[in-house]
Amino acid sequence: MSLAARYLLQNKTRLALSLLGVALALMLILLLDGLVRGMQRQITVYLANTPGSVVATQVGVRNLAADNSLLPPGTEDDIQKIPGVARAIPVLSQSVFFELHDRKIFAYLIGYDPAKGGGPWRLAQGREPRQGREVVVDQTLARLHGIKVGQTVEVGGYRFPVVGLSAGTNSWMTTLVFVRKVELERYLLIPGLTSFVLVEPQPGVSPQILKERINQLSGVTAWLKPELMAADLRIYEGFFQPLRLMRGIAFLVGVLVVGLVIYTATVERQREYGVLKAIGAGNARMYGLVLSQALVMAFLGALLAVLLAYLVAWLIMVLRPQFLVVLEPSAILLALLSGLGMALLSAIAPVWVVARLAPAEVFRR
Amino acid sequence: MLNLAWRNLAQNRIRLLISAGGVGLALTLVLSLDAVVNGVEHQLAAYIERSGAEVWVAQQGVRNLHMVASTLPAGAAEQVAVVKGVASVTPLLYTTQSVQMGRDSRLSYVFGLPLNARAGGPWKVVEGKALPAPGEAVVDSQQAKDSRVKLGGSIRVFGRRFKVVGFSQGGSSLTNSVTFISSEDFARLRRTGSNPSFLLVKVQPGTSPQIVASRIQRQVAKVSALSSTEFAQQERKVVKDMGADAINLMNLVAFLIGLSVLALTVYTATLSRRAEFGVLKAIGADTGQLVTTVLAQALYSVVLGLLLAGVFSFLVLPLLLPWLGFNLPLQPTLASVLKVSLIALGIGGLAAIIPVIQIAGLDPAIVFRGGGR
Amino acid sequence: MKAQKTAAILRVEDLTKRYGSGTAEVAAVKGVSLEVAPGEVVLIMGPSGSGKTTLLSMLGALLRPSEGSIQLNGTVLTALSERDLPRFRLREFGFIFQDFNLLSALSALENVVLVAEMAGVPRKEARLRATEILKELRLDKRLQALPEQLSGGEKQRVAIARALINNPSLILADEPTANLDSSTGHEVSRLLRHIAKEQGKSVLIVSHDTRIQDIADRVLWLEDGEFKEARTLAIDPVCGMSVERTKSPTATWQGQEYFFCSKGCRSEFLLEPHTFIQGEA
Ligand SMILES: Nc1ncnc2c1ncn2[C@@H]1O[C@H](COP(=O)(O)OP(=O)(O)O)[C@@H](O)[C@H]1O
Ligand SMILES: [Mg+2]
Repeated sequence: MSLAARYLLQNKTRLALSLLGVALALMLILLLDGLVRGMQRQITVYLANTPGSVVATQVGVRNLAADNSLLPPGTEDDIQKIPGVARAIPVLSQSVFFELHDRKIFAYLIGYDPAKGGGPWRLAQGREPRQGREVVVDQTLARLHGIKVGQTVEVGGYRFPVVGLSAGTNSWMTTLVFVRKVELERYLLIPGLTSFVLVEPQPGVSPQILKERINQLSGVTAWLKPELMAADLRIYEGFFQPLRLMRGIAFLVGVLVVGLVIYTATVERQREYGVLKAIGAGNARMYGLVLSQALVMAFLGALLAVLLAYLVAWLIMVLRPQFLVVLEPSAILLALLSGLGMALLSAIAPVWVVARLAPAEVFRR
Repeated sequence: MLNLAWRNLAQNRIRLLISAGGVGLALTLVLSLDAVVNGVEHQLAAYIERSGAEVWVAQQGVRNLHMVASTLPAGAAEQVAVVKGVASVTPLLYTTQSVQMGRDSRLSYVFGLPLNARAGGPWKVVEGKALPAPGEAVVDSQQAKDSRVKLGGSIRVFGRRFKVVGFSQGGSSLTNSVTFISSEDFARLRRTGSNPSFLLVKVQPGTSPQIVASRIQRQVAKVSALSSTEFAQQERKVVKDMGADAINLMNLVAFLIGLSVLALTVYTATLSRRAEFGVLKAIGADTGQLVTTVLAQALYSVVLGLLLAGVFSFLVLPLLLPWLGFNLPLQPTLASVLKVSLIALGIGGLAAIIPVIQIAGLDPAIVFRGGGR
Repeated sequence: MKAQKTAAILRVEDLTKRYGSGTAEVAAVKGVSLEVAPGEVVLIMGPSGSGKTTLLSMLGALLRPSEGSIQLNGTVLTALSERDLPRFRLREFGFIFQDFNLLSALSALENVVLVAEMAGVPRKEARLRATEILKELRLDKRLQALPEQLSGGEKQRVAIARALINNPSLILADEPTANLDSSTGHEVSRLLRHIAKEQGKSVLIVSHDTRIQDIADRVLWLEDGEFKEARTLAIDPVCGMSVERTKSPTATWQGQEYFFCSKGCRSEFLLEPHTFIQGEA
């Protein structure tokens, strides 16, 4: 076992406390990051899960999250005729407030044609709408508000029978409700109305080329899906700021915790380090010794943090299903990188102590 | 003994600073989140409080502004106008939309105002005029500045171009800005008909808004009437509810982080002085005096941490954040400061437990055995 | 040993300490009796493991005896409750240690003041008293120095000041000169005698240092937990330590027997005997 590891292991209580501190700080970073990712994923969930790699919107529209896009009737047919287009899926969307027994729920009504696509991608229960005003609502929303298949939900005096429950379509601020497009047109009193068209290229046709071809149509702007998703995310940037601030502070906390541990350990062993220096260990080796202790701490802390983060994320999502915490394998990387950053920054003070150490100190009592 | 506690801590200034800094930053997590949530609460409620209205009338069941839709039944305005104690009624149209300014798009509360609005207009116009005529808009000055839009320039709302005729201040929040257009444009473009979203009521001098609100509630069907104060409170509650989970989680995590940092410090400070505590015990300090010393060490660190947290949250962050590109409203409350102080005390007390047990159990006879050395 | 029974300040009767129990039982001190008069300097010597530390700890009320009694100024120590012991130690004993044991975060003055404050002396008065005592010990220039800035002799003088500040009746010193060079050690031991004689305080010292014999009124030899006849000790010609004739390694050179503290000193001696005993050869 290396000297650095031995030094760390010498006092178990202290090691445990320090690991806890580092792990909590890193866990907080992971959670906050996971929360931001989750919110972002929720914002872009519809585009991310529907077919097509190009989207056509009304010209001048900057995003789908907050702008109203309305395409002239017949646009989808024009798009379908463009060479290279495999499938053009018209979608009509409208934000509405559902009136539930106790409160109003902000929702996006997605009007789609079940024969063409653009509807719920995962049904947890029931079926897609077939006729009339049948709707599919999110299963989490249904659970939170006691909605069952067979019951109806109400918007502005209209009743919509629930025929299915979809999964992964709820978010912290809104929920998706799927209805047949013709029915939504009827509800909005504008036949043939389309908000945007999801376009699937034929095999071998690049989305970029297709986008340029669709842009030739008048009154239409074409987007690559990722561009449109990024535009939607920008609208909600403000929501993420507090989380980003907290994440930054958590990082600094981690730096100080690792720093405290390593600094204390270094100061305590000043004499031993002096001896090492006296018997010929160069500064580089001494820095290595200090830094490797910091790295081991941060590494162990990162591992613990990943475990904690998965646990707490699971708890959050069980207790508050409207929140999505996304911890991908990249979270482990984030933990390790943050840990590395903490280790490097935290080693500054102890390295300074070691650098100042005069080897002759050993001979003084 | 209190002096000894301080000297023990202060002997290694850097360590004291790092550990108090760690505790302080952990507490900063709580303080600053509280301040942000409170700040956003105020931002959102600011429009309601400063609208000039004393009573808000909304569609039945609607009790706040953020993320709601309200459409009043036809004739509501006329019915409200004749309620006893009502001085004036201003119909307000409202929705949340993305507004395009220059190259940016931002979420905005869009208000449609009548030309003779008695309430609900921008309350602090820094340039230009307050009430927009058809084709005109009054926008937030900060957003206009960010997007380099000048007076006389144009923005897009509901897909149409509007001429900017005034800049207002103080209505924007973390999540959205505010934009004022004429009711006429709003009703036409939004295709919602001319039924107002809200009625802003001014009451006759000397009349209580509460009483007028309950009269309206009784006399007019299918509406909710609330005094501005209450309406603003409901608005704050929306943010509070949204932030509550985050705040609770942060309280807990920060408490645990602070605890581990401080426990570490007090534990180390005590452990590395076991021998000295043994000497004190041998020459006659009683356990109470030693425990006092250990507790005081914890307390001093925690108070220092608390001070640092205050400095971070209320001096450093407000200066640093704009510079880092954050645009967060930090508005601390006394309650939050008190809460954090309590958390800090809890941290201090708990952190001292292990060392106190160690010191209390110390055998003074170790002094002659070179123990602890 | 003169009879000073009536005036004795410390009276120890049949003191026994056993560690462990059953077959693992070890009697570290066996039925020791002892009386110390005011102003008397008593030196206790003995081989390592003979029970010196155990005895000193019991006398200092840091360790409860298994049997026997200790009386200080008429108070029966063994009858005091655990709660009263710290205060008793604070007022009646002055402790002096081999490695000084000063509080590293406090200055010389504060180290002394703290102990007076612990005994309830108001800070102002405590500072006055401490300053005065430190002055007497010629430390007036070092009042604000931290222990790490003091030399060994200075540290031990601060420790002596600390031991004196509450005006105790008995000073217990454990190897007070072991960590000091010989002239400083000498100075410290003369200081202890001075305190005993001028202030009438009894001083009980445990030490290996034979030079302390010069200042002691009485030397007691502890062996296997019991006081034995103080015997003549031999001096290790290599390191100068006093050693017991019966238990130490020996070597004969030029017809004379020499005694050593350890095998190391003996083999060193045997390499070049003449360098260690020039005077006699
Ligand atoms: N805490 C203890 N538990 C068991 N045995 C002990 C303990 N302390 C001392 N002893 C034993 O008692 C005997 C006397 O020890 P000690 O008083 O330290 O002698 P000295 O100080 O003269 O070297 C030794 O045999 C030692 O091993
Ligand atoms: Mg001993």
